[in-house]
Amino acid sequence: MKTRLAIVLVAAAALLAVGCSGQGGGGAIKIGMLYNMTGAQASLDSPSANGAKLAAKQINEAGGVLGKKIQLVAYDGKTDAATIGNAATQLTNSDKVVAMFGFSDSDMTMAAAPTAAKAGIVFVTSGATSPKLPDQVPDYLYLACFGDNVQAAAGAEYAVSSLKAKNVYLLIDKGMEYTLLLGKYFKERFRELGGKVILEDNYQTGDKDFSAQITKLKGQKAKPDLLYIASGPDDVGTIVKQFRDAGTKTPIMGGDGYDTPLLVQVAGAGAENVYFTTHSLMDASLGTDAVKKFIAAYQAEYKNPPENAFAGLGYDTVKLLADSITRAGSADPKAIRTALQATSSLAGVTGSISFPQGSRIPQKGVTVILVKDGKFTLAQEVVPEKIPAP
Amino acid sequence: MTPLELLLQQLINAVSIGSLYALMAIGLAMVFGILRLINFAHGDLIMVGSYVTLLLMGLGLPFLAAAAVGIAASTIAGLLMERVAYRPLRGAHEISMLLTSFSVTIFLENLAIILFRPTSRPFNAPPILRSIIERGQLRIAGLDLIAIAVTAVLLLGLTLFVRRTDTGIAMRAASQDILAARLMGINVNRVIAAAFAIGSLLAGVVGLLWSARVGKVDPLMGFNPVLKAFVASVIGGLGSIPGAVIGAYVLGGLEILLQGLLPSALTPFRDAFVFAILIALLLFRPNGILGSKEREKI
Amino acid sequence: MEPNPKRPSLAARLAAPAALLALLTALLAAAAFLAGDYVQRIVIIIGINIVLVVSLNLSNGFTGVFSLGHVGFIAIGAYTAAILTLPVNLKAVNLPSLPGWLGHLALPFLPATLIGGLVAAAVAFPVGLSLMRLRGAYISVATLGFLVIVQVVLVNWDPVTRGARTFAGVPGFTTIANAWIWAVVAVYVVWRIGSSAFGRGMRASRDNEIAALSLGVNVLRARLLAFCVSAFLTGAAGSLWAHFITAFSPKSFSFTQAFGIITMLVIGGMGSVSGSVIGVVLITVLSEFLRNAERGFDLGALHMPPLYGASQILMAVVFMLVIVFRPAGIMGGREIDIRGTFRRIVPPRRGRKAA
Repeated sequence: MKTRLAIVLVAAAALLAVGCSGQGGGGAIKIGMLYNMTGAQASLDSPSANGAKLAAKQINEAGGVLGKKIQLVAYDGKTDAATIGNAATQLTNSDKVVAMFGFSDSDMTMAAAPTAAKAGIVFVTSGATSPKLPDQVPDYLYLACFGDNVQAAAGAEYAVSSLKAKNVYLLIDKGMEYTLLLGKYFKERFRELGGKVILEDNYQTGDKDFSAQITKLKGQKAKPDLLYIASGPDDVGTIVKQFRDAGTKTPIMGGDGYDTPLLVQVAGAGAENVYFTTHSLMDASLGTDAVKKFIAAYQAEYKNPPENAFAGLGYDTVKLLADSITRAGSADPKAIRTALQATSSLAGVTGSISFPQGSRIPQKGVTVILVKDGKFTLAQEVVPEKIPAP
Repeated sequence: MTPLELLLQQLINAVSIGSLYALMAIGLAMVFGILRLINFAHGDLIMVGSYVTLLLMGLGLPFLAAAAVGIAASTIAGLLMERVAYRPLRGAHEISMLLTSFSVTIFLENLAIILFRPTSRPFNAPPILRSIIERGQLRIAGLDLIAIAVTAVLLLGLTLFVRRTDTGIAMRAASQDILAARLMGINVNRVIAAAFAIGSLLAGVVGLLWSARVGKVDPLMGFNPVLKAFVASVIGGLGSIPGAVIGAYVLGGLEILLQGLLPSALTPFRDAFVFAILIALLLFRPNGILGSKEREKI
Repeated sequence: MEPNPKRPSLAARLAAPAALLALLTALLAAAAFLAGDYVQRIVIIIGINIVLVVSLNLSNGFTGVFSLGHVGFIAIGAYTAAILTLPVNLKAVNLPSLPGWLGHLALPFLPATLIGGLVAAAVAFPVGLSLMRLRGAYISVATLGFLVIVQVVLVNWDPVTRGARTFAGVPGFTTIANAWIWAVVAVYVVWRIGSSAFGRGMRASRDNEIAALSLGVNVLRARLLAFCVSAFLTGAAGSLWAHFITAFSPKSFSFTQAFGIITMLVIGGMGSVSGSVIGVVLITVLSEFLRNAERGFDLGALHMPPLYGASQILMAVVFMLVIVFRPAGIMGGREIDIRGTFRRIVPPRRGRKAA
């Protein structure tokens, strides 16, 4: 009994000790970085975290911001909402960061952003593309990426005008908000432009076998001009591979979830004739100068090229915050927010970022990429004419 | 495609995926038969074998050599698991063993995340494994034919093994009554190790077929397959190898046929239907399809 | 037991639990008023976890039925209560297809939580009825099936649950006070059931079903009742949790979330309510400590870089060690004798010897 009591008392003491985490680093500007380094979303978030750390390192090597170094205070969200909430609270209360960023998913963002907002600190999500997010956390939640309605509209308009697609087959991952929204916005814009959906099918995130869906498609009398497959980066390679292995030669199109080397690595020759909308062309030879430098630096730092588009997004988010702090002239959270909102034409790896008046979703052009000869090539830069309402 | 061809193709798909599930389920069933342990970490053996093969191929080894070492790695990992995590628990309550296997899974998965980073890596099988065989409108992947063949051979082989060889008979004895087996002079430790070795070797084989089919590996890749294998074994009757195979085909068949034949509005409910049917099955046959009518002894 | 012909007076019997409650209230008040936000969050999490683990104990620990699908009840309670409390203006935006009467309704916290629990219990009844006849691993698979079915329904019932999209805007009603009131209620309920004759029958059926049957224990009814009460409490905990994190989606309620709860249950000891409480406190504090440690630290000259995932590995190792060396958990299935401890601290006034 005494040992048990002792255990409980020690535990209580540890609890009190754990409440004081704070780290030193006097004089540095502290920015909170929240990503899922473990758990189901680790594959999405860890490239973002790497990109972010790279940006911070480069900024510090060039002299820092306002003469001070940037310190990224990092927490692992463990793909768990309660943990994320705890970490966000630690960031605002113990670490006293002046800004926060992270995550590639709405759930995760919503687990942290309200805490930041309550403390008067901005939260910039690097990879959550739901256009509904800013409405859910007024004033303090910003996106560093375009909304899904934008890229889906761009995809639909390109499909109709350049690919002359009249009939489309839709395959949507029903288990992810990102793919649900992407599919929904694409369908809406495509139909508006006069297109027809001959079959809409679905799957669950993480499904590894698509033979049933492929067979169902083949059983259709009407043949589609285009397959629009809304998929996340972990499943896209497998899906494209299996569809192509089954003999489907129709062009395939998707969103920025396709922006990963896994697409070509897994699908191999099957990735030919695949289109997707994304933030920018992340190619070491065909990309912009900024992209080339980023890829080279990432490769040097992490011994492999950026794993997916989210790496570039993480990088740009840190650059965005650093730029806002510089323009604000101080590390005061309110000033940072004002400066952030005023961001205009900030050149980044994933495109140029501007926040239009009153909007916290950046105006960024959409790059349509075509996979040709196993490489990502630029098909077209698109600014959608009409964007479906969130 | 005519409706008949459509149905036939879906059947081919079902048998293909069913065979993969069967190979996984057999491994699980062998261990359960003797130890009454549902080894959830079986999925991680799939992951270990695949990563080892991948790393060796990256170092330049030809596929067959890398695959052989990968399968060996799975087997060794399985034996280690048995020795370190499960032997101390011999005779413990069924639930304790199940929970321990959960913690082994978490341990291995997070270790893999630390060692290999959480992002997926492409797994490119050699061309021979990627061939497609066509007959009119119907097609089947070379890989799937291999999976079906291996399952058939294994089913036959293992059944013979368990009936004719000494070790096999010893395994059956141990699965019926471990104490009596020990009293009869059977080296129970060795028998259990043999069961684990065979099961883990199977996991290694499945890992290769699975990774080749999916095209990539990642630290959490074993979780879903082992869940399928678990469900398949239970449906077929825990501890029975033919049962595991039947359960696997039932599960695979249900998944494919429901996904393929239900209207698209209903396919999101596929997993719910699958499990509803499986639960109904369990209610009619509470010990699984081939499960023994075990009478609880007083 | 005291060789005492007369039962002690009501006041004497209530002294020990009252003292315990007073101590608890003092600690919680200290946390609520003195501690920072982070510690307050931990205290709330401990409170919610106590409800979860204690109710899982009722279902798994006492009856020997090992349910892997209890997370399904958390989800049902969370969604039901959140849909009920969501402010009407948000309902119009996020859930436009809700049936008319629901769309105009926004309930306060307590009724919504109670309804969440009741819906979970209502679902548990037919589920339990069909599953209780299975045994061992078969029932585990069946309850897993139940969880899958719940997940599928949540992901697809768009008009009511928003499908896979984030369900945000849930009012943050959960406080230290109401989380812990539920914790105390749950502990009391499960303890009373466990120590009653009915509870002894349940434990008998867990240890030896045939013997229990021969003694006239209605095993099926015992398990079903335990399952439903457990579902009610779990559903209520789901509501507490929903109003704590304020934003979730179907993938928040996964099989992996169950591990944490099961870990606490096993380490505390199945079949012991006080064990559950101790298990929750210990594991929650330990995993928070490890989570902070794995971020890397400097201890004098020693610099540890961050090693994400190490905390999960260490927790898995701790779990394995406990199962191997102390499989019955910390409390070993027994309860803390509150009255005995109290009497040792505060000896009874009359010169009678303490037992």
